[in-house]
Amino acid sequence: MSPLWIVRRIGFYVLITVVLAFFAVPMLWLASAPFDSKPGLGLRWPDWTFSNVSATFAHPYTLSSLVNSLILCVIATVVTTVLASLAAYALSRVRIPGRDLLLYLLLLLSSVVTGTAAMVPIFVMMLQLGLINSQFGTALVIAGGMLPAAIFILKDFVDAVPRSYEESARVFGASPWQVLGHVVLPVARPGVATIFVWAFVNAWGNFLLPFLLLRDVGQQPAAVLLRTLYDEGGSANLTVIPVFSLLYSIPVVVLYLFVSKRYGFRFHGGIKS
Amino acid sequence: MAGITVEGLSTVYPNGVRAVDALDLSISDGELFALLGPSGCGKTTLLRTIAGLEGASSGAVSIGSRDVTRLPPGDRRVAMVFQDYALFPHMTVAENIAYPLRVRGVAKAVQQETAVRTAGGLSLGALLDRRPGQLSGGQQQRAALARAVAASAEVLLLDEPLSNLDARLRLEARTFLKKLQRELALTTVFVTHDQAEALALADRIAVMDAGRIRQLGTPREVFQRPADTFVANFIGSTPMNLVPREDVIIGVRPEYLAPASEGLFTGSVSIVENLGVTSLVTLDCGEDQIGYIVPEDDEPPVGTTVTVDAPAARVLRYDKETGLLVR
Repeated sequence: MSPLWIVRRIGFYVLITVVLAFFAVPMLWLASAPFDSKPGLGLRWPDWTFSNVSATFAHPYTLSSLVNSLILCVIATVVTTVLASLAAYALSRVRIPGRDLLLYLLLLLSSVVTGTAAMVPIFVMMLQLGLINSQFGTALVIAGGMLPAAIFILKDFVDAVPRSYEESARVFGASPWQVLGHVVLPVARPGVATIFVWAFVNAWGNFLLPFLLLRDVGQQPAAVLLRTLYDEGGSANLTVIPVFSLLYSIPVVVLYLFVSKRYGFRFHGGIKS
Repeated sequence: MAGITVEGLSTVYPNGVRAVDALDLSISDGELFALLGPSGCGKTTLLRTIAGLEGASSGAVSIGSRDVTRLPPGDRRVAMVFQDYALFPHMTVAENIAYPLRVRGVAKAVQQETAVRTAGGLSLGALLDRRPGQLSGGQQQRAALARAVAASAEVLLLDEPLSNLDARLRLEARTFLKKLQRELALTTVFVTHDQAEALALADRIAVMDAGRIRQLGTPREVFQRPADTFVANFIGSTPMNLVPREDVIIGVRPEYLAPASEGLFTGSVSIVENLGVTSLVTLDCGEDQIGYIVPEDDEPPVGTTVTVDAPAARVLRYDKETGLLVR
């Protein structure tokens, strides 16, 4: 143990501590600020009060925005998971010329469709369809943006389901829907669970689309409402924001824990036999 | 119960490979039939075409009196066991066995009852609640067989049923399979590349090559009188001696050759290989290597000169041009 070695060791741990603090401080703020009587932007030990919580609940839009978020996310997630499952199965099994090109094109386009570049045409289209201020319409646009990537990821899982499983079911008389429901999706379940959570988290945190397509504050989800939480003076409303942020984080964490425990996550295909 | 008739059947893959080529075949009711051949000979494709998993390009497949050529697999009343068994990993053994009934919408109680009864018959009774991943190879194979039996099909198709088992288990499973087939008296077609397996199990064997049948016959016929040099080479645990002589090729199995004072071949002993109760002796006869089998106690010393002969009925003659058996 030379002195140089000790200095290096100390330097290494200092670096780790700084990196750790960088990620930990916002989390600690999220845990402490909601229960502080004078929440600030700094981190300090709270003096434990629930007045912020009651103030947040008294706010006219906080709870309804969380409900809006739930509605929006459930629709978008269900649409994404169901359609991605069907499309991934079809693309995995059907041999058509240019299939791989189609897949890569889908993946490429997905980043454009959800991105800012396509915002104007999407807005105009939704306006002409009369789907501005529609939760359902917004959910569909969000789902549409997530679908290509979801199909791409899920196809990898479906590819890994041995064909003999399907053929076996077919010989016993299973219809294509039964093959999908009884065999392919259950075997690819970790993939479906991954897509479900991934879609939900993405939709939950999506700001731009609901911000543009839901103009009515009563329709807006939590991600959009958070931006409007100012007090009369025009500065951030630090009574409501910490509690609201905490409430906003809970559903995603709960969903993650539930799915992880129930189905397990995997980010690649593959069957253990 | 039903036989299988295949008439002029061709199966051509999209890439143009004729895996099955204008093939005629008739399998009788209750028969245990082997499709034997080297890999790529079209035997598995033929089995899959009978099952309906591959479409026939031309020709017809009938099961019993029904023409099933254009029927989907599920309507053909066939059951199939795949090489990897294709047990569904997320279902228990009982659910797997009852799956054919579940697809048909049979009542849950009947499904359960059938699963218990079928599993009992294949000594899987204690494993009903296990998942396939918790079973040994032999148990997985029996579970896959039980599922096929529970389908109460007219025809049972087995794709390389023993190839995924280790050598010792394979013998046990082979005996079990033959016993099961005899009890069920179910028309059974199995695919194998192992000639010993085909000889031991089958009532009749079709030896296939390049999408066609080279020889069709009982194991004894195929072993004793191979129809051509391809079959002669393929069948038998030690390859047949094929020796060119003037205008014919002489074919004699090593098992039928024995030392004699004068006979077909004379040469010096070059190699002796121990096969257990017998030994394979290789004679160096000029250009040809002749193998013959001796009992374990009669091994000749290497380097001695030996003359071997076989009964006239065991010496076959093949045409030099076509390779066909000369009668």
